[in-house]
Amino acid sequence: MSFDPATVAAFVDGELDDLTARRIEREATSDPALAAEIARHRALKAQLTAHYAPVIDEAVPERLRALLAPSDKVDASLAGRREAKRMRFAPIHWGAIAASLALGLALGLKPWMPPASVTEANGTMIAAGPLAAALDTQLASSQSTNTAVRIGLSFEDKAGRYCRSFESRSLDGIGCRDDGGWHLERTMQGQAGTEYRQASSGELAAAAASMMAGDPLDAAAERQARDKGWARR
Amino acid sequence: MRFEEELVELLPRLRRFARGLARDASDADDLCQAAIERALKSQEQWQQGTRLDSWMYRITRNLWIDDRRATGRRGVHTPIDEAATQVAGDGAAEVEAGALRGDVDGAMARLPGEQREVVMLVLVEGYAYREAAEILEVPIGTVTSRLARGRETLMHLLGEAA
Repeated sequence: MSFDPATVAAFVDGELDDLTARRIEREATSDPALAAEIARHRALKAQLTAHYAPVIDEAVPERLRALLAPSDKVDASLAGRREAKRMRFAPIHWGAIAASLALGLALGLKPWMPPASVTEANGTMIAAGPLAAALDTQLASSQSTNTAVRIGLSFEDKAGRYCRSFESRSLDGIGCRDDGGWHLERTMQGQAGTEYRQASSGELAAAAASMMAGDPLDAAAERQARDKGWARR
Repeated sequence: MRFEEELVELLPRLRRFARGLARDASDADDLCQAAIERALKSQEQWQQGTRLDSWMYRITRNLWIDDRRATGRRGVHTPIDEAATQVAGDGAAEVEAGALRGDVDGAMARLPGEQREVVMLVLVEGYAYREAAEILEVPIGTVTSRLARGRETLMHLLGEAA
């Protein structure tokens, strides 16, 4: 047998690349020892799967379902929060933003820190400072829980740009990578530290869903896009 | 979909995973209950857009480990766990091949916890090596070596031709 046991196991687990998998399949037809080894692994997997399968069909005990059962009271307040959120979640209010920029009120992630997180260029809001740095470099899959900017979803929009949703202390939104930086396509007031956090994430996810072409990037694709500087494919 | 609704959909699979870890059905449901309570409490730590199932499996598995450690500290050893430490690893070969033919629970009980959780994740729950490594927060190489040892022990105890 020209395949080591780990490779045979990986074959049965579906972990091999297509080429190696086909080679094993072909060789197993003329190598009884290899065929037996594969059968042995498959038999174990089948036996384990069959043994635990009935658990899936059991009724979930009431004490577990009760923990997750919707309660009318909670639902009402949640709906209320969502409604309140929707009111705030609107296309960018240019007037207000222009006013705040004119007044020199930085939309900073940390207002006491010098670098502003948003600048304006040719009538477009662009991420700057720590927000731009986070959008450029931070991976959703490996960010710490107390990071100043939390990256949510990364995806490609219908124009082929990479876009990323983010949440921070003072500003939540979606930035799309285009000429000159991260254009803020959606913004809403940050909700850090309030009970609305989850509702806010939901709204952002919904907005992202309406913008994205295809599925959000998984961890590997996110890393790859970052390493290529978020250049369009 | 509401966070709670997604959790409800996960419950059957989560119960299966917990059954494999804890073995006893009511212990397994206690484990699920603790995991759900923990998840509801730390809901905001779950990152939207990442997989809820992996996150729940990780919570469940970590609670299981904590519980085993606590049990160990209290000096409570179930006989089956003592058998596990004696038989698992090198000692397993001394048990007659096929001694536990058909007794999957008995054979799984003889695996060290670190092998049992990998066997459950990959062979029963169907996770890729990489996904299992992420859930367990260990390198892939650790997953594959634990899986290989767990497999060998199980095949030995259950008998080759199942």
